[in-house]
Amino acid sequence: MKPVNLTNQVEVEQLKKVSFIFNGKCLTGYKGQPIAAALFANGIRTIRYCEVTGEPRGIFCGIGHCFECRATVNGIPSKRTCLTLLEEGMIVSSDKKIGSGADFYES
Amino acid sequence: MKVDVVIIGAGPAGIVSSIELAKRGLKTVVIDEYFKPGGRLLGQLYEDPNLPKENRQWNGKVIASQLIDEAVALGVTFICQTTVWKIEESFIVYITDKDIKEIHAKSIILATGALEKALPVPGWTKVGVISVGAAQTFTNLHNVKVGERILFVGIDPLSISVAIEMKNSGIDVLGMVLPTPSTLSGFKSDPKTILESLALVSNLAPNKLFRFFGKFVKGKISSITLSILKYNLIKINGIPIFLRKAVTEINGVHEVESVTIRELSTKGEIMQGKVETLVVDTVCISGGLLPLVDSTQLVNCKLVDIPEIGGIVPLHNKYLKTTVNGVYVAGNITGIEGAKVAMAQGKLAALSLLNDLQLVEQAELLEAYDLVEEARKASPILFQPDIRKGRNIMQEKWEEYCASGSVVS
Repeated sequence: MKPVNLTNQVEVEQLKKVSFIFNGKCLTGYKGQPIAAALFANGIRTIRYCEVTGEPRGIFCGIGHCFECRATVNGIPSKRTCLTLLEEGMIVSSDKKIGSGADFYES
Repeated sequence: MKVDVVIIGAGPAGIVSSIELAKRGLKTVVIDEYFKPGGRLLGQLYEDPNLPKENRQWNGKVIASQLIDEAVALGVTFICQTTVWKIEESFIVYITDKDIKEIHAKSIILATGALEKALPVPGWTKVGVISVGAAQTFTNLHNVKVGERILFVGIDPLSISVAIEMKNSGIDVLGMVLPTPSTLSGFKSDPKTILESLALVSNLAPNKLFRFFGKFVKGKISSITLSILKYNLIKINGIPIFLRKAVTEINGVHEVESVTIRELSTKGEIMQGKVETLVVDTVCISGGLLPLVDSTQLVNCKLVDIPEIGGIVPLHNKYLKTTVNGVYVAGNITGIEGAKVAMAQGKLAALSLLNDLQLVEQAELLEAYDLVEEARKASPILFQPDIRKGRNIMQEKWEEYCASGSVVS
């Protein structure tokens, strides 16, 4: 899939470009956009693998209800990438195990 | 943190409530789980035929930002990226914020909105299957493409408007079909019911053919009408609507690669023999909305099940007061309706609260009540066709509750 940003080009361009790492790959996105949006714009839709079956998973609800888009962000597991905003130098990786939930109090 | 009122949910209902309360000098804080206020207004972008001709665009993002500016100017505090996890009596609201752990408040307005109903179709957990809300949010708010070739499963006012928005953004929308008939899909797989519900949005469609069907539908639908539909394609804004087709499987090894589609009989049963495969990379599922009532259980509000307004909702009177003293509700938590109704309800809940504190006159409360009905009349989309009936049932249930002796002061 092509990396494309849509209609509100002006709005997007006003944002600051930042670099981040997803599963070892260096990518660019905009500061303050949800991590999942930056991944979409880079053509990446698979965010994690089901802990039970190993099947790939990605965005489903997009607003924090379904918890399908979890990833480890800067070492904290099970962050919802639809709600977590991108920052310069973020290290994002597919969750290896189910998080403890402690991250709720650290966000 | 000590305030007069905590509002849970920074959508159209919650923000308007906060404005009305702050105007009368109450210290108000609005909290929301999302990273910015606005709620689902943020994704809304459509033409509203009820607005004046020169400006028919309903741009939720702009409306949200105007409301937020107004609230902030009046001294309202917004706390985002925060979840409420406990509420203690009269009231201590515990939140997951890093710095603020609890908020002490005299009253609470619950304006948590709705969540999307799941509509399982075989293969729906694959990467590339997204809900209609996600499609709207990523397209209109985050401005990224969720896919190149999309098929919509579930035909309703919301999915139609999102399909139009996505097409306008340059995404290839291949069409809209029904979900596989199952106990979970219910009426969503019935061509007749769906056709009837389309009549409710027919005023949104510039397409003459669709208007024609809209008129048709307001009368009676015979199986002949549905037979014709097999051959006559309905298009809304150029998007094909297949009322006699259902997705039976979503295929793909790693991500979505195609869908299997079968024809439906006029009664919504799968017809044997006719199978087609459509190459898509994204499937957008629309299963309808459900009031998000979790927070009501933190304060022990009584709940009632009224399918006409969208399902299980907190019991409330016509001024949006719940069975718990000091707790009010506004927006989709009271039943599924549009943003305009939510805004009017936000005002009503605030005035109801203010009236109980004797800070406004009864006349102002009654006026706010009338504004909700006006907003309902002016809504371009009716999400629940029997919403008025549902609202009446709610009132009856409230009266029963009061008569049973469990009186709320």
